[in-house]
Amino acid sequence: MMIDKGIEDIDIRMPNDAYDTGKDVSTFNAYLVAVVRDYEGRVIKVHRQRSHSPTANFIGLLLPLQYYMNNSSGFTFKNASGSTRTYQPAVGCATPEITYPNNGRNFPTTLTMIQVGSGSQSNPFTAYVLAAPIANGSGAGQLIYGQPSVSSNITVSGSSAYFTISQTFNNNSGGTVTITEVGILTNTSFYSTNLGGGSNFGNVLVWYDVLSSPISIPNGGSVTIYFTFTVNP
Amino acid sequence: MVTPDLVSEEDIAKLIIPDDLPDEGPTFKAYIEAKVYDKEGHLIQYHRQPMRSLTQYFLALMAIPIIGTYQNASTSQAQDLLVNVLGLPSQQSVNTEYTANIVWNWAIQLGSGTQTFSLTLNSLAAPILNGTGAGQLSYGSLGVSYGGSSIYISLQVTNATSSAVSVTEIGLQGTIYIIYFSGSSCTNTTYSFLLSYDTFSTPISVPAYGMAVFQITLSFAG
Repeated sequence: MMIDKGIEDIDIRMPNDAYDTGKDVSTFNAYLVAVVRDYEGRVIKVHRQRSHSPTANFIGLLLPLQYYMNNSSGFTFKNASGSTRTYQPAVGCATPEITYPNNGRNFPTTLTMIQVGSGSQSNPFTAYVLAAPIANGSGAGQLIYGQPSVSSNITVSGSSAYFTISQTFNNNSGGTVTITEVGILTNTSFYSTNLGGGSNFGNVLVWYDVLSSPISIPNGGSVTIYFTFTVNP
Repeated sequence: MVTPDLVSEEDIAKLIIPDDLPDEGPTFKAYIEAKVYDKEGHLIQYHRQPMRSLTQYFLALMAIPIIGTYQNASTSQAQDLLVNVLGLPSQQSVNTEYTANIVWNWAIQLGSGTQTFSLTLNSLAAPILNGTGAGQLSYGSLGVSYGGSSIYISLQVTNATSSAVSVTEIGLQGTIYIIYFSGSSCTNTTYSFLLSYDTFSTPISVPAYGMAVFQITLSFAG
C-alpha cells in the first residue's frame, strides 16, 4: 500500500465544532443533590445541580494500561497533602498497582469521604484539595461527618443505569454553617504484588464541585449530600 | 420557606436524578470518529457521530477511581457494586502473604452486524476478526492519550484484501486484571466486558488495500 505524506498525521483530535452541545446526546451525567434538614428533621431545602468536575487524579486512575504501555513517564498523582507519586502500572509482580482486597493483607483503596468546604477554586481539574475544608467536629464552623454510603448495585431503569454515593453531616456547632464546595476523597494504596513495595498514598481528591449556590445548615440540623452517576440518562 | 417534608427514601430516589435542571449541557460527551484512506493513502471519508450507548460495565469501571475497591479501610472485602456488576471476587484468597492488585485495559472492537443496545451487552453482533482473510481487518496497536479531562482511544486498521470491508458497529472493550502472587510467580485472573456499543449512522467502508483510523473520545469536560 502506498502512503502519501498526509497519512503520517493520524492525529484526529475532536474538531472544535463537534463540541456543539446543542447537538449532543448525553451518555453520562453526574448530579449533586443536597437535602438540608432542621433540628427536627424536617426538610428545609433541596439543592440540585449537575456535577461537572472530575479531577486530574480521576483521569489518571481511569486511564487503561495501554496508556501506560505507550508512555514510559506514567502519570503523576497528587494527594490531599500535596505529595506526588508517579504511577506506572503493568500486569506483573514488581510494579505497584491499585490494591484489591486480599484476605491476608489490608492496604485499602477505598472511598474515604465526601468532604465539604467553605471556599471555592476556579479550576476543578487541577484541584487536589478543597479550598477551605470544613473540619469534622462540633466546634464553631465545623460539621460532624457521618460515614459515606455506596450503592451495593447499579440501579437500572430502561436503558439508563446509575449508582449513588451519599454522606450525612450534622451541625452541632452552635451556629449556622455554610458550605460552598464539595469533593470526593479516595484513599489510594499502590502496592507491588510480591515485593512488598509501595505504600498507602493517602487521600486523593477525585471529584470536585463548587456549589451553584451556598447551602446553609442550621444549628442542630443536617445535610445529606448525594452524588449520582448515570449512563444513558 | 419550608419545603414539605420528604416521607421516604423513595422520595429521595426521585430527587437524585433531577430531570428539570437548566440545560447546562451534559457532564460527559463522547464521540466516535473514523477516517478512511484509499490504497494510496488519500483521505476519502471522514465520519463523526456522538457515542450514545455506555453499558453498566462502564459505569462500574469508572466507579473504581471514586469508590475504590475496598468497602472501607478496616475490612478486606470488595465493594459490593464491583462484585455484583463486574463479577469480581469479594476477596482474593489464593495467597494471603502478599497483596492483590487491580488494573484494566481497553480495546476497540469493530464489527459488521447490528443489534439492539442493552446495558448488559457483552459483545458485538458480528465482530470483524483481526487478520488478512476475506472480511477481516488487520488491527494495529491501540493509541491512548488524554488532554485535560478528555481521553482519546484510537485504532488503525488496514484492509489487506482485494475487497472492501464494511464496518457497521463499534465497541469499547475492557479487561480487568486481578493480579496476585501464587507459588513463586505472579498470576492474574481476567474479566472482560463491553464498555460501550454503537452502530454507525452510515456504514464505514474500508476499501481494498486501504486503511482506516477509528477514534473514541471520552470527554468529562462538563
